[in-house]
Amino acid sequence: MSLRLFILGLSASFGVAWLCVVIVPYLKMRDLAPIVLDEAKDGKTGIFYPKRTGRIADGAKVYAENGCYLCHTQVVRPTYAGNDLYRPDWGGLKSDPDRGDTRRETNPYDFFGEKFAQVGVSRMGPDLSNLGRRVESIYAVGGDPAQWLFAHLYNPRAEPARYSSTCPSYRFLFETRRVKGNPSQAALPFHSPEGTELVPSSDAKALVSYLLSLKKDQPVPAVLNFSPPKNNG
Amino acid sequence: MSSANTTTSDQDALLRAGIDRSLRHPVMFFLTSGAAWLAVSIVLGILASAKVHSPEFLAGCSWLTYGRVFPAHINALIYGWGFQAAFGVLIWMMARLSRKECTAAGMILAAGHIWNLGVSLGLVGILAGFGTGMPWMEFPAFAWPVLLFSYIAILVWSFIQFRVRPAGHVYISQWYFLAAMIWFPWIYITANTLLHCLPGHPVMANGINAWFKSGVIFLFFTPVALGTAYYLAPKVTGQPVHSYSLARVGFWSLALIAPWAGMQKLLGAPIPYFLPYVGAAATVLLFVPLITAALNILRTSMSSPETLAASPSLRFMIAGITGLVVLVVAGVVLNLPGSTLPLTQFSMSGYGFEILAIYGFFSFVMFGAVYFIVPRVTRREWLSRRLMKIHFLFSVYGILTVALIALFGGLQQGIGQEDWQQPWQSAATRAYPYAVATTIAWCFILFSNIFFFLHLALMWLRLGRRSSHPTLLVAAHDHHSASPHGEEGDIDNAGPGHMPAH
Repeated sequence: MSLRLFILGLSASFGVAWLCVVIVPYLKMRDLAPIVLDEAKDGKTGIFYPKRTGRIADGAKVYAENGCYLCHTQVVRPTYAGNDLYRPDWGGLKSDPDRGDTRRETNPYDFFGEKFAQVGVSRMGPDLSNLGRRVESIYAVGGDPAQWLFAHLYNPRAEPARYSSTCPSYRFLFETRRVKGNPSQAALPFHSPEGTELVPSSDAKALVSYLLSLKKDQPVPAVLNFSPPKNNG
Repeated sequence: MSSANTTTSDQDALLRAGIDRSLRHPVMFFLTSGAAWLAVSIVLGILASAKVHSPEFLAGCSWLTYGRVFPAHINALIYGWGFQAAFGVLIWMMARLSRKECTAAGMILAAGHIWNLGVSLGLVGILAGFGTGMPWMEFPAFAWPVLLFSYIAILVWSFIQFRVRPAGHVYISQWYFLAAMIWFPWIYITANTLLHCLPGHPVMANGINAWFKSGVIFLFFTPVALGTAYYLAPKVTGQPVHSYSLARVGFWSLALIAPWAGMQKLLGAPIPYFLPYVGAAATVLLFVPLITAALNILRTSMSSPETLAASPSLRFMIAGITGLVVLVVAGVVLNLPGSTLPLTQFSMSGYGFEILAIYGFFSFVMFGAVYFIVPRVTRREWLSRRLMKIHFLFSVYGILTVALIALFGGLQQGIGQEDWQQPWQSAATRAYPYAVATTIAWCFILFSNIFFFLHLALMWLRLGRRSSHPTLLVAAHDHHSASPHGEEGDIDNAGPGHMPAH
């Protein structure tokens, strides 16, 4: 076999797969069409445009740089691919006070504002698709969700119930500074030397803002809604 | 022996010695710095693994947080050790197979230094908190053009040698090497351009990353290791390859199947539905090309049992091919979309599978090649049989532990994850003992590789034994032998001035 024929064979066998699983799906996904809402089914007109607020780009960068994706996923798989949807607080809330069962699978519009979807490598820790919702409705009821997350990042094992957590401590995202005038509202309830306070750095604030934006439980248009009608009892 | 034959064999010996001499420093540079990176990577791996079960170990220092140490560990393993071992073996074997001396050793050495610089800066970048967050591509964005440029500058000469070689038969190893040399830049340019320069949909970007990881394993490390094994098995045993048509089937089926694999990691994520299924099917189907090659190589090696017992190259290579058999069986068992894939998709079996591929299969074959090549390029024999045995045993026990964790720990953890009626902690608790075992396994592997690195460094300093008898794993049967390392076997590196074999 000549070298030319050999390279031709390699290019053909590789190129077909390359086009079919990489290039064409990439270009198609790049131009993902917005979903036009149907008045009969969705109850409103216009296009589906999920809103997301917070320092998404900054926070996603801190998330990536500190390797959160190694232990946490951000995908709630449909039931054919796993049992994620059955967990009471992963795909949404099993009994949201206002909307009932809000659990749903992840859709392609959920990663708005991010460059790289942190689907994740493994689940040493729980899925974070709805961490923002979970913190607000379960973990920090009656408190400030951002403060709860700051304290959790500073010491994931501080709460007695979480003594066995293997999440690393992100102490280096916080700084100790001298109190000038009134103490900061954002100071953490952990020990710091007399006359100083423990406050989150800019990176910690971006990360927490991003984590609180993880609320992938909005109602989706009928064409994206694969769940059977739920019994909201 | 007729005089015409003697002349030809002398000319052959001269040519081989010339090739070995022309490549001595590039080859030894890649192998030694690769071994040093391997040790660095294992130290980082121990740190990372210890943090999984003891999160307060070295906590609080940003440079040593798990999320940075782990990517540093895996990237050092791939780009520091894996690629450099591949470079060292590939340039030497391509030169020997093309029967051409290397005329660009200086260029290759310079490019090798640039590669090392790129890897070092990339690792510092990850540890300092500038990682990209894309698995196996965590080096900050400046690194990939540097690595790509030096990759081309290192391997283009082997391609040229192949073009200008004296016409003749193209050996199986050359198919695999040429293919790996072409496939990797194609994958690397595709993944890096699409992810760094042409932002698209974030979920598809993740899919391309998963495809890249699979491509690095099955389209670079695998063909390099198989080409090396196809070189070593007949060369060491002195027997022809068991079946040439099997080899052809193995090669072309790998070329056809492997580019489709990888995206099964995104089963259930919002990308086009066929992609994860195609990926899972291809990963399972890889059983065919890889088991074909493995059996062919094993049959060839088994043809000479006494060499098998004595030769360190062959022993390491056989262990690597056994690792390949375990790898492909694990590939089938762990990637069935209807049953096991949901369990293993986000469990530690993914890491175990990658380590099995890079260390249990690829690295063992590379160690075999190192034990074969280094005496030839340095014209010194390995110092100690005991050091080789330590290297082999501790590596084998270490990697066996990692492999068992991959198969059982990952499945156990996955069962815990899928049991939605239990609180999440139960899945984490199930993973705990396996995490401890991984740390211990890495300590074994570190121990073995520190000796390997020292042994290799001494060889580069040309402090190896001056002998024309190779260092073998078994003691000589011949009691009259003066050397404790045995008399049997002659080597072809004794140089042009050596006495003809008796």
